[in-house]
Amino acid sequence: MFDGHYPRLFRYLDRLSGDPDIAADVAQDAFVRLYQRGSFPDAPGAWLVSVAMNLFRNIQSAKSRRLRLLTPHRVERTLADPPPSPDAAVEDDETRRRVRVAIDRLPERERRMLLMQAEGYSYHEIATALDVREASMGTTLTRARREFRLRYEEVWNAPR
Amino acid sequence: MHLDEEQVQRLLDGELPPVESTRVRAHVAECVDCLARVNLGRREDEESRELLRALDHPLPPLPAHTVVVRARSRRWGWMYRAAAVLFVLGVGGVAWAAPGSPLRALLREVVAAMSAAPSQPAPTPAPADTPVFAGIAVAPGASLLIHFASAQGDGAFEVALTDGAEVVVRGPVGAATFTSGDDGIVIDNSGSDATFEIEIPRGAARVEIRVDGTRVLLKSGAAITAATAVRNGASYVVSLRKAPTPTR
Repeated sequence: MFDGHYPRLFRYLDRLSGDPDIAADVAQDAFVRLYQRGSFPDAPGAWLVSVAMNLFRNIQSAKSRRLRLLTPHRVERTLADPPPSPDAAVEDDETRRRVRVAIDRLPERERRMLLMQAEGYSYHEIATALDVREASMGTTLTRARREFRLRYEEVWNAPR
Repeated sequence: MHLDEEQVQRLLDGELPPVESTRVRAHVAECVDCLARVNLGRREDEESRELLRALDHPLPPLPAHTVVVRARSRRWGWMYRAAAVLFVLGVGGVAWAAPGSPLRALLREVVAAMSAAPSQPAPTPAPADTPVFAGIAVAPGASLLIHFASAQGDGAFEVALTDGAEVVVRGPVGAATFTSGDDGIVIDNSGSDATFEIEIPRGAARVEIRVDGTRVLLKSGAAITAATAVRNGASYVVSLRKAPTPTR
């Protein structure tokens, strides 16, 4: 149950927020609440997304960097990754920026639907989590996908 | 009768009921137009998913037992606090209401003593063991700037990638002051010759380090670019020395 839901919940939140720390915190909190609930909801995937979205909204309303004073100890280090070629790194960065701009330009409902679909959530789960109609989900997703690609091409063609 | 958008997308997502799925598949096998639309939809779907993968960061580990421990501690923490409050209120109420209770007189004395006592300076805490290193840690967010306010006469900073969640900056105690704002961390190192340690999570999207306004290191995604850095095993070492003034 945990292994099946955690990666896709994290990825969904990570893509939505662009902040892996917040995504990890919110995903963990959602699982803590599921455990405290004491019983499984009918659609655990949808329930987790729904709870995570509420937590996410709370965090967004009071978003600030978390700062703490350090205790004077040294943490154990791990080996650094070899630096990739500068060209490849620049290209990755640029693609990420364009995708971020394109996805952020979608209406909120379409953005969430598209991100949930990309993570393999069923139409029933998407409809339950986002409180939208399931009957026309296919059409809405098709249009959201087209809109996303259109926005991406706009960003691609826009002068920097 | 051709397929509509809803049917094409549901076919791609495996969301058609079994009977309708069979009928739609049979139609697609015979209809060139619908087959082309299904193939186009599939290609666009795959391309969109591929684009979205550009946003991904590495999945942080979250052991299931961590969730269980947090859930239990939160639940019992709340119950213990509630029980403690009820206990104190109950005992206090009984003591207050008991005939001849000394509690009322005791409270009056305490209040009188507090209002009459002159304010005393807080006692100076005993000196603690002087830490070797001190600094700050901050979540890197989407982008973080670490700014050394000055170049130094000597010294350097050493950068290591970690699997942690926070950017950590440390220096010898007294070597600098650290402040954090919306933009990032500012290290006021004027007059210092110290060497600093910086730890950057591998998953941090973008961390830039500047010295006196000049970028000296950039971690962007998995890439690290630093013109003057020297690899020291697992770390990157960047000098904080002032660039020599060119002679004429």
